[in-house]
Amino acid sequence: MTANDPNTRQNPHDLPPTGESAAKGPAAAGKKIAWVREPELGMAGRSYLMLFLQGLRTTLRHLLSRKTTVQSPEQRHVVPDPLIYRGVHRLNRDAQGRVKCVACFLCATACPAHCIDIVPAESPWPDRQKYPQSFTIDELRCIFCGMCEEACPVQAIELTSLYDLSGKSREEMVFDKAKLLSVFDQTKDAEPMTKGTGTFFGLPVSNEGTPGPAEK
Amino acid sequence: MATIYIDNQPYVVKDGQNLLRACLSLGFNLPYFCWHPAMNSVGACRQCAVKQFKDEKDTKGRIVMACMTLAADGTRISIDDPEVRRFRAGVIEFLMVNHPHDCPVCDEGGECHLQDMTVMTGHNYRRFRFRKRTHRNQELGPLVNHEMNRCIACYRCLRFYRDYAGGRDFDVFQWHNYVYFGRQSDGVLENEFSGNLVEVCPTGVFTDKTLKGHYTRKWDLQTAPSICVHCGLGCNTIPGERYGILRRIRNRYHREVNGYFLCDRGRYGYEFVNSPRRIRQPIFRSERSGAAQPVEKQAALEQAAKILGSGERVIGIGSSRASLEANFALRTLVGADRFYRGLAEAECRLLDTAIALLRDGPAPAASMSDAAQSDAVLVLGEDLTNTAPMLAYSVRQSTLQREIGLTKRLHVSWWDDAAIRQALQERRGPLYIATPAATKLDDVATEVYRAAPDDLVRFAQALAHALGAEIPPVSALPRKLAALADVVAEALYLARRPVVVCGTSSGSESLLRAAGNVAWALSAAEHRGQLCLVLPDCNSFGLGLLGGGSLADACRAIQEGKAETVVVLENDLSRHADQAALKLLDEVRHLVALDYLEHATTAAAELVFPAATFAEANGTLVNNEGRAQRSYQVFVPQGKTQASWRWLQEMMVAVGRQAEASWRSFDEITAALAEALPIFAAVKDIAPPEGFRMAGQRVPRQPHRYSGRTAMHAQADVHEPTPLADPDSPLSFSMEGSQRQPPPPLVPRFWAPGWNSMQAITRFQEEVNGPLRGGDSGRRLIEPQPDAAIRYFSDLPAEFEPRPDEWLLVPVDHIFGSEELSALSPGIAQLTPAPYLALSASDAAGANIQEGEKVVLAMDGLHQALPVRFLPSLPRGVAGLPVGLPGMMHVTLPGWAKLSKVTAS
Repeated sequence: MTANDPNTRQNPHDLPPTGESAAKGPAAAGKKIAWVREPELGMAGRSYLMLFLQGLRTTLRHLLSRKTTVQSPEQRHVVPDPLIYRGVHRLNRDAQGRVKCVACFLCATACPAHCIDIVPAESPWPDRQKYPQSFTIDELRCIFCGMCEEACPVQAIELTSLYDLSGKSREEMVFDKAKLLSVFDQTKDAEPMTKGTGTFFGLPVSNEGTPGPAEK
Repeated sequence: MATIYIDNQPYVVKDGQNLLRACLSLGFNLPYFCWHPAMNSVGACRQCAVKQFKDEKDTKGRIVMACMTLAADGTRISIDDPEVRRFRAGVIEFLMVNHPHDCPVCDEGGECHLQDMTVMTGHNYRRFRFRKRTHRNQELGPLVNHEMNRCIACYRCLRFYRDYAGGRDFDVFQWHNYVYFGRQSDGVLENEFSGNLVEVCPTGVFTDKTLKGHYTRKWDLQTAPSICVHCGLGCNTIPGERYGILRRIRNRYHREVNGYFLCDRGRYGYEFVNSPRRIRQPIFRSERSGAAQPVEKQAALEQAAKILGSGERVIGIGSSRASLEANFALRTLVGADRFYRGLAEAECRLLDTAIALLRDGPAPAASMSDAAQSDAVLVLGEDLTNTAPMLAYSVRQSTLQREIGLTKRLHVSWWDDAAIRQALQERRGPLYIATPAATKLDDVATEVYRAAPDDLVRFAQALAHALGAEIPPVSALPRKLAALADVVAEALYLARRPVVVCGTSSGSESLLRAAGNVAWALSAAEHRGQLCLVLPDCNSFGLGLLGGGSLADACRAIQEGKAETVVVLENDLSRHADQAALKLLDEVRHLVALDYLEHATTAAAELVFPAATFAEANGTLVNNEGRAQRSYQVFVPQGKTQASWRWLQEMMVAVGRQAEASWRSFDEITAALAEALPIFAAVKDIAPPEGFRMAGQRVPRQPHRYSGRTAMHAQADVHEPTPLADPDSPLSFSMEGSQRQPPPPLVPRFWAPGWNSMQAITRFQEEVNGPLRGGDSGRRLIEPQPDAAIRYFSDLPAEFEPRPDEWLLVPVDHIFGSEELSALSPGIAQLTPAPYLALSASDAAGANIQEGEKVVLAMDGLHQALPVRFLPSLPRGVAGLPVGLPGMMHVTLPGWAKLSKVTAS
């Protein structure tokens, strides 16, 4: 038994806690780690023949299946389920036409690309404390993961089924609040907002706010 | 030391503490609400439940509250036991029944202790289906926001406000589910420490109202370790910035200095950094009275080179609110003999006296923690709540020290806060306050003595004599006063750690010396008498050590024709100089100013350079105990603003003196300072140098969750800017960097996994209430001389005699308004009183003056009409004049003045 033998090597983390480290904190007195050995590969496994055949089967299946390529832009791709498609963002409006966002920063925080930026201001309406003075999404940095939509507690930000996002400059692709609201105006009929059937921390959430002046 | 067993693992802990404290010190995640490291246990919230076992054979155990159970030797507990876990989840479910669950719109969200504890206990689904109770919120003034629905009734706010901060206008009302914490009716919270409710409240009931105007989540703030600039105590702070706007100040724990709390001036005074009065680019006036023209940096420096020319007949005026480095740079530019301190002659004398007392005598300087742990305190001439608020907080805590010692025979543990207060009732330890007028600490004082400054000196000297100082006795002291002096002397003599508090705000050098006599006499009698001296500004001590003449000396130099160019550093001279001196400075040939705010001096200057505030540049500040502390740049300022020392260095390069100003970085200038002046040798070692790295990385100023990085500048430029370089510190202006815990001077925020709120502090301390891991930051520059022969002062002014037609004006300080920078914050400005003159009602009646009536004050060429306000506690023949309020002119106090009524014409 040598120190380099992989089967007998002792992992340094596996050692029982010493008296000194045990007195220091719970991290040092951690639980024992069970080390699992990989199963040995047989002859068939080592030749990779079965894996090769499995791969070939997938290729053949796709060769024979229905083609999904669309002749864009002459032909439009039809999004099968717009409600779960992750295209361009929109900022939803409530029944009074005001932006629904309450400037809680959850989307900006959830965003793995760090491409959402919100500047809050005290809300002019009595039914909430804050609203976004400015709301910016850099669509070019966005990876369309949908985590913003997921994080939003009031269903204010949603991803639409608009997928052909293009612009003549990079600046044009930085969407501000007005542009994000205009995406809502464009898509609200085709893709209605998620209805007020949801719950937020166990409370029913409705799309109707209390009456107030509409935001321009 | 005691050995306790937690989940069958042995741990060694200190004797006498409770289990919660021991568990947190060991790094366990044990949820709690009502316990606070500074306020100990009351056992109200039932959240820190653990299971205790009788011995190793006991498997059943019983649930106890960790905060109310002594961590005795051999104690066996379980934190992970399934039953106790269920218990804790159940407790939090009850607490959350009426909580509005409005985290996304709550200002506390993301740094909420309630959120953290809810996640920690595993309560994640709400089963309560009924209506929640709702409360009406109160309007509590411009600093604190009230949202009572979020309350979980842990009573921390009430305990802090009433028991610790000494507030009276806040209480608990109603019962059961309807328990309500607030004032009797809407109104401004009167206590000077009300801002701490924001940090003390485990949830979002009390939030920072100034932050609301420019709200940003904790993880979106760029933060750096900083030092408060609003008084001389040097409290440690964490300012936070986003989009170039300073957003808020939070406390940064320092065991010796401010502990867990800040005063409202320090917490809310920051908004001057965002003031519209900021100077953002160099200004040049071709004629002194002409219009200001913004100029380019290079042009301004060329102009400066022209003005400074050969360097002959150039004098520099430093500042007690500028960093050591900035003052040193100016001193290098003009030469040590032509550097003046920018303080009035009286201020300079007081400062020198105070520093000499700490340097030459046997009594060590008391830190705020020393003051809080003292068992007998004597305050001489200082209204601490208004001149050094956090010291007032410490002194208030000190009144419990002796009495807590007495409760030992009741077998009550020192951490059992409710029991201690129940046992003590209203009994408080010795605190003697001798001031010209009433102070807010009087309610816990054993005895107060109110008299004119000269009488205070006589009282203190009588006291020193009673303690054995080799000074002649005070003759003709009233019998009652002599008896009081004996009582105070006895209390101080019997105390184990007596502290004498005095300061410069009374304006009396003799009083400082008399305070020194008392402390020294205590030291000589084998008692560790400590001396705590209050200084006015954040770097008064540093400026005092740097030396240099007063403003009067500068004026003399101008009059004698020795100076025709004056460089003023971060100083509004109208706050330190009288009218004649100001006129003289106005008429000097060239006036160059460096500052961040427009004021009388920058308005008169020919050339103005935009200097950086405390949040925009590194600096070393020396607090009132002589502790040099490093404050770090939080963000890169807009415009052409840069640190004063950089401007001064560039000026020296522009006049061709590169060799003298070879410092390019902050480390280089501190090294040059340490070399030039040996007293500052320690300054370069108080914080890690710029080259310090952790695992090869800098310390990030932005947290790892910082959001919007790629979009926040997209409106200006779609290309993401490269992170700004910081040549001055090991901190970086980005979220990239080491996430390890940095050494204490570099801790930019308190956060630990699972601990998003301020309560993460226990993860940064060596043990609860101990120093931060790595030791206390900052270093004292002077040490007392325990073995030096004491030379007592024998100042003995004559007894104060009221004059028939004149009044002795004494200074009256205001926490809100008396300090120059904080007074510019809108929240503080709302609480600042208008200028007035204080008279006692009986004196006013004698002179036939009504309250609110305007009188003209005449002294030393100063004429000002002020409304009269009654201050009943003033002694006869003494009037109070508020100092530093916007609209007040500088006068040297105390001084005699004539009052006359404003005639109807």
